[in-house]
Amino acid sequence: MTVPPGCVTAVIGPNGSGKSTLLKGIMGFPGTVSSPGAFLGSRPLGSIGRRERAALVGYLPQSPPVPHGLTGLETVLLGRHPHRDPWAADSPSDRAAAMDALELVGAGKLAGKQVDRISGGEFRLVNRAGGLVQETPVILLDEPTSSLDYGHAADLWEILSRLAAGGRTIVATTHRIGMAGGSIQQVLLLSEGSPAGFGSPDEILAREDLMAEVYGTGIAVVRNPAGKGWVVCPRERG
Amino acid sequence: MSQRTRIGAVTRVLFILLAAGIAISLITGPAGIRAPGRILIDLRMPRVLLAIVAGASLAISGCVLQAVLRNPLATPYTLGISAGAGVTAGVLILSGAVIPVFLVYLAGAAGALAAGCLTWFIAGRSRRDPSGLILAGVTVNLLGASFLLLIEYMSPASRLVEIVRWMMGDLAVAGYGRVLFLLPFFAAGITAAFMRTGTLNQFLSGTEMAESRGVNTLRERFILLLAAARLAGGTVGAVGPVGFIGLIVPHAVRRLAGGDYRRLLPLSALGGAVLLVWSDVVSRLVVSPAELPIGVLLSLLGGPFFLYLLLRRNEAD
Repeated sequence: MTVPPGCVTAVIGPNGSGKSTLLKGIMGFPGTVSSPGAFLGSRPLGSIGRRERAALVGYLPQSPPVPHGLTGLETVLLGRHPHRDPWAADSPSDRAAAMDALELVGAGKLAGKQVDRISGGEFRLVNRAGGLVQETPVILLDEPTSSLDYGHAADLWEILSRLAAGGRTIVATTHRIGMAGGSIQQVLLLSEGSPAGFGSPDEILAREDLMAEVYGTGIAVVRNPAGKGWVVCPRERG
Repeated sequence: MSQRTRIGAVTRVLFILLAAGIAISLITGPAGIRAPGRILIDLRMPRVLLAIVAGASLAISGCVLQAVLRNPLATPYTLGISAGAGVTAGVLILSGAVIPVFLVYLAGAAGALAAGCLTWFIAGRSRRDPSGLILAGVTVNLLGASFLLLIEYMSPASRLVEIVRWMMGDLAVAGYGRVLFLLPFFAAGITAAFMRTGTLNQFLSGTEMAESRGVNTLRERFILLLAAARLAGGTVGAVGPVGFIGLIVPHAVRRLAGGDYRRLLPLSALGGAVLLVWSDVVSRLVVSPAELPIGVLLSLLGGPFFLYLLLRRNEAD
């Protein structure tokens, strides 16, 4: 599978199909089966040093732990770690970039609030801003819209789409493909740890037989009546 | 009040408290305020210096462990450090060997560090993640406590009293030997920790996030645990297993100044020094002209503090 720059790729599949494991394997996290076949351009990812890799590939997990005692702005600033010494203070440009990222995801008002006192959804927004401020050409996101309301979820896909338009490479797992609208260019469908299909949304999502086989027969995929993309609906049974 | 103003105020208050504590400590003692210069220089000054370095060491150690183990109740003794020091010091006291006092401190520190290393080794089976390290630490603590109980059972009455007294902690010194003994542990531990304040912040977001931001979590966890063990081990060797400072101080400072380790660590060091200097003053005043062991006083503070944390947690839930 090749993910070119400027492209948003959605990884979909039922629970337990290996979506999160795929991203963790690419990142080479301790305790996961690392993916020897992951390349960044022509360079194997495993051959790139940790710090350099952190400046090239960003990762946002589904449920990161809440960093107790930090404010929203301080949490976002953690994303600048690969770009400075481990003891360095935040520069004015770091703080400005973090504030811009918070504003971009619609969480500017959370800058001064302690993240252990905000809601789960608000923390997700702060965390997404932390991913943006890392300024990596490649961003891997695990269920970026889970616990976000419809408005924030649609906004996030739009932001990802804009980042891709600026040349970044985005790979995101999702169960809510309908919220992506026309933001995605490629879909990887996983089933029981293996690829069941890879191609454009029209090539994968339109294949109702394939989707039904992977997810079961209880769903139907229809074109988004209000815009671009596809929407997954429950199929009436009986 | 803005965060910057609050941090400034907390820093000023801590410095004032430390200065006041030092001043009161220097004029407190059986010889009173008019004590001869020798008492001031050879007894009271090294005592207050020892309290400053030991308090700062324990507070930094606790602070580091709470981030690395991602557990707000982690203390320097979570890794079995206290039990390890107790065993080696207990064996030494039981043997009745007449050895230089420096070696007694060294034996306590060595036992503490050995226990920390044993915890790291046992946790290897669980990839040394926070929960694996805590479980291994609890195991080493239990093993150490059992050995110490055996040593106490085998000890004649006079030695038993000595062991129990050692376990209660002691800041009474004559000369600067103990301070000089502790300084290399302090310098090595504090340097390693202060150079990694940003890394400690990354640990707050969990292993995966820290890894994705370029932190070699296994290596950094080892270096930071070693730093915490050095700080606590040296202190336990020099003053005995004084508890609770590593728990109380980081919590209080975090509440007042936030959780960013770039300010939490130095403020905790300051807070630890303040708490131990003042605890020493109180321990010398409450049963004057005798002294209350410092460990007893801190345990009296630590128990209610645990209860407070528990109630706060229940309220938050």
